[in-house]
Amino acid sequence: MTKKILVVEDDGTTADYVAKGFEQNGYVVDIASNGRDGLFHATDGNYAAIVLDRMLPGMDGLAVLGAVRAAGIDTPVIVLSALGSTDERVKGLKSGSDDYLAKPFAFSELLARVEALQRRGPSGAQPIVTALRCSDLAMDLLARRVERGGARVDLQPREFRLLELLLRNKGQVVTRTMMLEEVWDYHFDPGTNVIDVHISRLRKKIDEGGREPLLHTVRGVGYMLSESA
Amino acid sequence: MISLAFSVVITVPVLLFVYHQTDSLFEERIHDRVADDERDLMFAYSTAGAAGLPAAINQALMTGELRGGVALLVDQSGHKIAGNLSAWPPVLPTPSEWSEIRLFQEGQVRPDLFAIRTLALPTGQRLLLGTAISERERMRAALVEALLGALLLAIPLGLIGGWVVLKIAERRARAVGHVATRIAAGDFSHRLDEETGGEEFAMLAAAINAMLERIEELVEQLRLVTDSLAHDLRSPLTRMRANMERAAAVDDRERQQQALEAVSLDIDRMLRLISATLEISSTEAGAGKDHFEHFDLSALLGDIGEIYNPIAEERGMQIVTEAAAALAYTGNRQSIGRAVANLVDNAIKYGGGPIELGASEDGEFIKLWVADGGAGIPAELREQALGKYRRLEESRTMEGSGLGLALARAVARLHGGDIELQDNGPGLRVLLSLRRNVSLL
Repeated sequence: MTKKILVVEDDGTTADYVAKGFEQNGYVVDIASNGRDGLFHATDGNYAAIVLDRMLPGMDGLAVLGAVRAAGIDTPVIVLSALGSTDERVKGLKSGSDDYLAKPFAFSELLARVEALQRRGPSGAQPIVTALRCSDLAMDLLARRVERGGARVDLQPREFRLLELLLRNKGQVVTRTMMLEEVWDYHFDPGTNVIDVHISRLRKKIDEGGREPLLHTVRGVGYMLSESA
Repeated sequence: MISLAFSVVITVPVLLFVYHQTDSLFEERIHDRVADDERDLMFAYSTAGAAGLPAAINQALMTGELRGGVALLVDQSGHKIAGNLSAWPPVLPTPSEWSEIRLFQEGQVRPDLFAIRTLALPTGQRLLLGTAISERERMRAALVEALLGALLLAIPLGLIGGWVVLKIAERRARAVGHVATRIAAGDFSHRLDEETGGEEFAMLAAAINAMLERIEELVEQLRLVTDSLAHDLRSPLTRMRANMERAAAVDDRERQQQALEAVSLDIDRMLRLISATLEISSTEAGAGKDHFEHFDLSALLGDIGEIYNPIAEERGMQIVTEAAAALAYTGNRQSIGRAVANLVDNAIKYGGGPIELGASEDGEFIKLWVADGGAGIPAELREQALGKYRRLEESRTMEGSGLGLALARAVARLHGGDIELQDNGPGLRVLLSLRRNVSLL
């Protein structure tokens, strides 16, 4: 079954750019150019995710979001906004969105986030997982243990969280800002290659010793854990 | 015209007042004179009786003791008994207070104006006392003449004075206008003379100069910000252009990819610069107060230290966190985190190890600090380093927006505190003070 994405965005160029990107990745995209159409589509269609612009003619993006949630629709929503500050972000998340991305953005970042949202499932309904696995890398969430090929890997608590994030998004790109948000709960852009150093440490621990590399760098976007590149 | 009206408005009431005062003083003296005569004659009447009064009158007239100069005593039927008037003036009632009549004095050809007062005596006789007031009339005429002269003199004087004052004010205003024109033309260095021109103008000049000082400072700041922003955007833009051209020119897919990735890195860099600038302005404007939350500042320092420690270690530095086990605080966790992260980032880039993160309580404030063991910033450059885009010259070539300290300052001020740069001997110590209970402010 092809997955459908609803893009609610009044700027034609951005909407086309986003739609083309999703289509190239195998999605079917509906575009709504104002809040009312967006709301109409959202209540009607069966979407895998909704990409919602914050500032829309006719009806404010957050108002659309409120109406969608009020109608009992729990489709994951990612809010796009030119209002990039931390506070705007908090406001967006508080009004029921699942993620927030400041404009301008790289499509790869949007895609990574949308895919992560689908993996997480409908908002508020996280499936309870006790074990995660990728090839011969296994994580036991209850015992907080990680093994590679049966041998125990010692990880710092944060490294554990980082690896957990990557495992939960196995086969999907996780961007640097997603990592900072999920693992440390800070929403600023760390600037220097701070996250890269954390990843290279983690990589040393799980991929060392001539084993099949699992932690891959996706150039210009982020990192991905998968069995083959 | 205004100065004419002004001098008339000022002069006329003054002259009227002078006239009135002089005139009533004169009137009083006239009345006094007659009252004296009356008192003297009544004294004679009371000692010598009715028979002694004519003698007293005649004697007073003869010796000139009668100060008023006019007296007439008549009997019940109006016949003259004594005095220097030939007959009792008709129409004059008895007794009467002051009246002014023209009378012929005995031996005079022309009538004179007299102020007259009459009394009825118990014997039925009537007494008239008076004094010539032609003197007063002459005085009045002279007074009017003098006052009119004064008025005529005052008008031209007022005009000249007004004109002079006007010219002086005009010259001062012209000086202000001159400076304003220069400034409008873009030269902010001009100032008004605060020394000359009297107290009021000196005060005005000082106030205007203070305003100009502030404007110049702001314009200078703005110019620096735009210059630096332009400078900082130009290098990535130039690089991007070069990379785009390279990508278009080469056929090799791999090298094209590399060039395009370099472009996207530069775009990210510019976006960071812009979003940092926006974040600072919105923080300076007080945004972020709506999102205060309870959190542990020590944990925040631990987080930031942990995030940056690997990259610091890569550069051979250690990050040490020194804070109480838990420091509860209510504030904007995200912006404080970002500010501390910026400071640590600066310490790694421009400072040197070891980097120390710390926090302690200090009365109403909580102090946070990020200290490094690098070269530090000389005392005289510290204020400059706090300005937006004020990357110190020697570090200009290094990557970075130069906004870290400005953001940290904005965040500290949002939380009712401030930033301070101190000597860490060696190195720089950036101290942020955050007010407790700032959410209640």
